[in-house]
Amino acid sequence: MNARTLFIPLTLFVVIAFLIGPFLIIVAASFSAGETLAFPPQGFSLRWIAKVFTVESFRASFGMSLFLAIGGTAAALIMGIPASYALSRYKLPGAEVIRTVVSAPIIVPGIIVGLALLRYIVVPFGVGISLALFLAHTALVLPYAVRVVSASLDNLRSDIEEAAVLLGSSRLGAFFRVVLPNIRGGILSAFILGFVTSFNQVPVSLFLSGPGVRTLPIDMIAYMEIVFDPSVAALSSLLAFLSIGIVFAAERFLGFSRYV
Amino acid sequence: MSDQSYLSLEKLTLAYGDTVAVADLDLDIRRGELIALLGPSGCGKTTTMRAIAGLLPVKSGRVRLDGADITHVSPNKRAVGLVFQSYALFPHLSVYENVAFGLRLKGMRGADLDARVQQGITSVGLSNFANRRPAELSGGQQQRVALARSMVMEPKVLLLDEPLSNLDARLRLEMRTELQRVQKETGVTMIFVTHDQAEALALADRIVVMKRGAIEQIGSPQDIYNRPQSSFVADFVGFENVFALEGGKLKANGHLYDLQGDVPSVAGLAWRPRMVALGEGPFRGTVRGTSFAGDRREYLLDTPLGPIKAEDDASAPVHELGTELAFDLPARKAAPLASFA
Amino acid sequence: MARADISLQGLAWILGSSPRMTAQLDTGEDPTMFQNRAEALALALPAAIFAAAVFLVPVLILLSDGFRTPVGGGWSLSAYTEFFSSPLNQTVFLRTLRLGAIVTVVSAVIGYAAAFAIVSLEPSTKGKITGLVVLPLMISPVARTYAWIVILGRTGIVNQAFQAIGISDAPLRILFSETAIFIGLLQLFLPLMIISLISALENMPRDAIPAARVLGANWFQVFWKVVLPLTREGLVIGGTLVFTGSLTAYITPAILGGSKVLMLETLMYQQVSVSGNFVSASVIAFILIVMSFAANILLKRLATARNRRAPGRSASA
Repeated sequence: MNARTLFIPLTLFVVIAFLIGPFLIIVAASFSAGETLAFPPQGFSLRWIAKVFTVESFRASFGMSLFLAIGGTAAALIMGIPASYALSRYKLPGAEVIRTVVSAPIIVPGIIVGLALLRYIVVPFGVGISLALFLAHTALVLPYAVRVVSASLDNLRSDIEEAAVLLGSSRLGAFFRVVLPNIRGGILSAFILGFVTSFNQVPVSLFLSGPGVRTLPIDMIAYMEIVFDPSVAALSSLLAFLSIGIVFAAERFLGFSRYV
Repeated sequence: MSDQSYLSLEKLTLAYGDTVAVADLDLDIRRGELIALLGPSGCGKTTTMRAIAGLLPVKSGRVRLDGADITHVSPNKRAVGLVFQSYALFPHLSVYENVAFGLRLKGMRGADLDARVQQGITSVGLSNFANRRPAELSGGQQQRVALARSMVMEPKVLLLDEPLSNLDARLRLEMRTELQRVQKETGVTMIFVTHDQAEALALADRIVVMKRGAIEQIGSPQDIYNRPQSSFVADFVGFENVFALEGGKLKANGHLYDLQGDVPSVAGLAWRPRMVALGEGPFRGTVRGTSFAGDRREYLLDTPLGPIKAEDDASAPVHELGTELAFDLPARKAAPLASFA
Repeated sequence: MARADISLQGLAWILGSSPRMTAQLDTGEDPTMFQNRAEALALALPAAIFAAAVFLVPVLILLSDGFRTPVGGGWSLSAYTEFFSSPLNQTVFLRTLRLGAIVTVVSAVIGYAAAFAIVSLEPSTKGKITGLVVLPLMISPVARTYAWIVILGRTGIVNQAFQAIGISDAPLRILFSETAIFIGLLQLFLPLMIISLISALENMPRDAIPAARVLGANWFQVFWKVVLPLTREGLVIGGTLVFTGSLTAYITPAILGGSKVLMLETLMYQQVSVSGNFVSASVIAFILIVMSFAANILLKRLATARNRRAPGRSASA
């Protein structure tokens, strides 16, 4: 066995152990029977997994996060699909400006976005925290929506729309009959990417929390500062498996990675 | 409407943004004719075709079809078919659904629809492929679907954008035959755009040669091939040696040369390589390059006139590189050019 | 981390020029039916106006706050001189810069090794291993960071192991230190570097390495003169992602650094939520943004400079 054949598996083992190991430890710790977070787990039980479902604030913040992830992504797509269409099909004056403005929320650190919203939208206009969170998450997901949908539009030749029109379809009809069915995969991928991004998002939401209004990751951080039991580990494992499951299903059925 | 002008373009001006692509173009096309729009890229042939389809708004002038002014009729109401260069099949629909697309929009349903679609698919020899997706077909098959999809709509004019350019040599011949058959059977008026003179010569009833947004020459394939009117057309159809005339003398590199025989009073003369007589004549040149091409041998000569391309029979003795040769540009063989640019 | 990590891929999209795959919108010869500007604007403006109103304008106002004079309506840099005159702020600023740089360099070194190993695998194994590398990106950063508490804590695995084999008697304090933040950030962002380098290596001309070998280069020269110049774009993208991600990380320093070992982002949160100091928050925000952009420009420069110098050096080598 020469150095090269040894180098490859060894490197991969170390790197993957470093990347995945902590996650496996979290999963193991969540089945612990002990009172505190520890590894190796003390005994085996499902008590902490069960406990996750009984914590009232988790349920509320999970609902909030779910609403933001679904609603925010949907809103971003409703604005993002037409924008992507315009950017990828038309020679638009100022296209680069529009593209930059729409993509900007990705470049600026989320904590700044959250703070700016708090100070200049929430406070002066009396906007509710829930609405502010919704706006923030929509803005956050918008770049992904535009980017992923644009990519799938760019892969679709625009002359199929001309063909549809020459065969008697209206412009709008051509969009719904031949464009939309062909970018469905891209739209779904954008949705999933947006969902995961929004759901895991912390910094944007940091300053945007009010009485009873909190996203799940923020709630988890708050909880772990007070209680050092394995329930956050259990919740983390559950969420991780949920998002891995969604992404894998998407990859399996849509070829998700083609779009992202 | 006269039969002479089933489709007519009158003083058509087309612009792309502020750039004028086609200016004041007049063209009359007879019913059932097979027309080739021939020219290099950027000559406005595709732009003209798209304007006929209605995909490009007309800046000024008119388009008339079958007696009606369709200049401002939207493309979905024109009864003009277009076979795209990329075929533009709908990737998410089967062959059957691609062909049925336009008919369904017309409101056709049930047995009528099925019969028409089946007939369309069968006529292009794809009846076994009705349920395939476009991605599962070869390029040639995709093109047949595109052709069937347009033809079932019974268009008044069928436009084809570079119909043979994406096919390999064998399929090209097949498709050429196919297009001629379809045209003969249905009598549809066809206009196709091409940059390939061989394609135009082989297929068209009439060829419209375009240059920089204007028509350079219209004529039968024989006319275009044998009697180009301008240096541009001559060059385009394979007259490799094109010269201007001045006072009955050939003008090259700023000098005037006498030609043997009667010189017509035209703007220029053009010779194909095989029209150049090698071995004797008033001109001399040095063999710069030579290549064997099966039945003939091609020569590139360095001459005071500039580079000259000539051909000889393959059986004739070979002139080696560097040999000095006499040659003649016989005026009686040359194509007379009315204009020289 | 300032962005959920997946969002860093988005940054990659923006930083990396995205070649448009289609050429059908080619100019000149092929005019399309998509020429109506009013139509195009009507489609694009809602998204642009939304992003401007909800994001761009508030952020710009926030940033401008840092350039205001404390009293009156003038402009000044006093907030910046004040910010940098505080020793605490200096420490935090330098720590952020240092951690960002170290994490970037270490991830590049590990990233090249891992990416090389991965691209040399059979296609089917390659897919699975790449999947494992990408997997952490789908897991909530809170969960990923949280795991390090279990590993690095006083009764964590590392301390248990150290005591068992006798490296130390008492539990070491690893958590709430720069080391802990470094480990957390590296784990968080390494996948982005590896992915960037994998695609860069795969886009390298197939025979570049064998060609260099045949011409007599040793492995070090192959890496330095062939691989590095040819993958520099991937390195720039990966490096910018990792550096920017590390600078603007929030969760990792918040959980693994605690309230004592601050980075700019956690300092900013503290300034706002504890002292209500919005001006200094604005200053930090501006610094973060400037640093992100500067990193990108610097990395690009470094990559091209290396490339230009390459021929002269190979002559002397």
